[in-house]
Amino acid sequence: MIDPTLLARVAKGDQQAFSQLYDHSSTLLFTLAVRILGNREEAAELLQDVYLEVWRKVSCYDVGRGTPIAWLVTLTKSRAIDRLRARASRGYRATTPLEAEPTAQLADPGPSPLETQADQELRMAVGTAVAELPQAQQQAIELAYYEGLSHTEIAARLNQPLGTVKTRIKLGMSKLRESLRQWGNHGELP
Amino acid sequence: MTHEELEESVPLYAAGALDKVERQALEAHLLSGCASCHSALKDYQSIAALLPLSLSPITTPRSLKATIMAERNPASLPAEAAQNEPVRPSLEPGEWMERLFPPVAPARSSSLPWALGFAALLIVAVGGYAAWNVSTQRSIATSNIQQLEVSLREKSARLADLQREIGDQTNALAELRNKLQQQTNEASEAKGQLAQREAELEDIRAQLSQRSIAGAARTPQDELATLLRIPNVKAVTLTGSDMAKRAAGFLLYDARTQNVWLYSMNLPESPAGTTYQLWAIRDKPISIGTFQMDTGETTHLLVKKVLSFTDAKTFAVSLEPSGGRPQPTGPIYLLSRS
Repeated sequence: MIDPTLLARVAKGDQQAFSQLYDHSSTLLFTLAVRILGNREEAAELLQDVYLEVWRKVSCYDVGRGTPIAWLVTLTKSRAIDRLRARASRGYRATTPLEAEPTAQLADPGPSPLETQADQELRMAVGTAVAELPQAQQQAIELAYYEGLSHTEIAARLNQPLGTVKTRIKLGMSKLRESLRQWGNHGELP
Repeated sequence: MTHEELEESVPLYAAGALDKVERQALEAHLLSGCASCHSALKDYQSIAALLPLSLSPITTPRSLKATIMAERNPASLPAEAAQNEPVRPSLEPGEWMERLFPPVAPARSSSLPWALGFAALLIVAVGGYAAWNVSTQRSIATSNIQQLEVSLREKSARLADLQREIGDQTNALAELRNKLQQQTNEASEAKGQLAQREAELEDIRAQLSQRSIAGAARTPQDELATLLRIPNVKAVTLTGSDMAKRAAGFLLYDARTQNVWLYSMNLPESPAGTTYQLWAIRDKPISIGTFQMDTGETTHLLVKKVLSFTDAKTFAVSLEPSGGRPQPTGPIYLLSRS
């Protein structure tokens, strides 16, 4: 978990605070970037950009809009999908597809030393909630979330009616919200 | 979009599944201050931000932190840098959190409404331009159609004119053909007449040659002399009656030209109110002509054209009242010997 006050310190130019922010968020953001881009090198480049942007724009962060980690995840996801689209428009294909990553995941099974027990519980809760989703709903949400596809594009990709795709995403998100309600209601999520 | 539709799109927004237009519509709605949608979005965004926790963690490269810490420019305060950040032209997934600022910072919070207002203006302007463009193109197309219609009407009128002209010329041609036929007829008629005239001319020429044969008789005497040389001229001698015993005369008749010449001698002067009249007598007397004798005259020549003369048996000259009479009434002075 990241305390919003940490961001306030970063906003004041506190380099120590910025270093702590990196330590608490970089694994999650890097994992997300690799999942979206399918490539560690490019994910590392992306993280450089993201943290630089965080440093510059941290004063824009509004705690009223969401938790600090939600802000960072949203920013990282947004920039990663920007890259994905720019790459698609250049006709580039990932040289290291996501399927090549399991070894890396297996090689790094342990929790981050900085991860608290609450963090571990949350990680398990989210993993369970996602795993409990029907496969079709999970697939639709992941295509939107990690590949940046709109519902129209997902419908075309899956060869399903648009209404069906919308319903799958809505139902899936609704179930996740229910499953993680106790975490969402927690003021310090995550 | 209705509020229900916008509310339903909140989980899709959080998952990043909305189209750009739908995304902007929901963001505009959130900016309008809808508390329930704002609250729902905050929930869903929080859930969505948890999703990467379901992935197996991948440790960052060891060198990454050092690189990032080095790249960061410590001299530049984050707040200042943020103010120098160029405003992005459009909202992207997640920018709700990324770009919206707390109300306590009015200078910053005004930037997104401004951007959205600008975007709205842009949409209106583009829409207006598109509508204007469509309407302009439609009016151009309409105007083109009208021009074509006008042109078609003109062409049709011209065609009708041409057809009328052709009709007129066809009629004129038929008329000319009729005229030609008529003139051909007239010409053939004229040819017939010409042939007739030529025949007549031939006759006249023949008569002329006869007359020239008759000679250039300028005087009655000369004519008489010429007559006497023509063959087939019938000559009748007239002798004086008791009224004028010294009188005598003779009569020449050319059957071909039907001319009669009477040459009289020693007839007494015809008194005033009287005239001599020559008669040809067959069954009854037929007047041939009248003549007068003046004082001192001893001879007279009468020339007349007489039809059906050949059957006459007797010729006589009587003295009749002026102008002559249909039948002889006066005394006979000359009489033929038949």
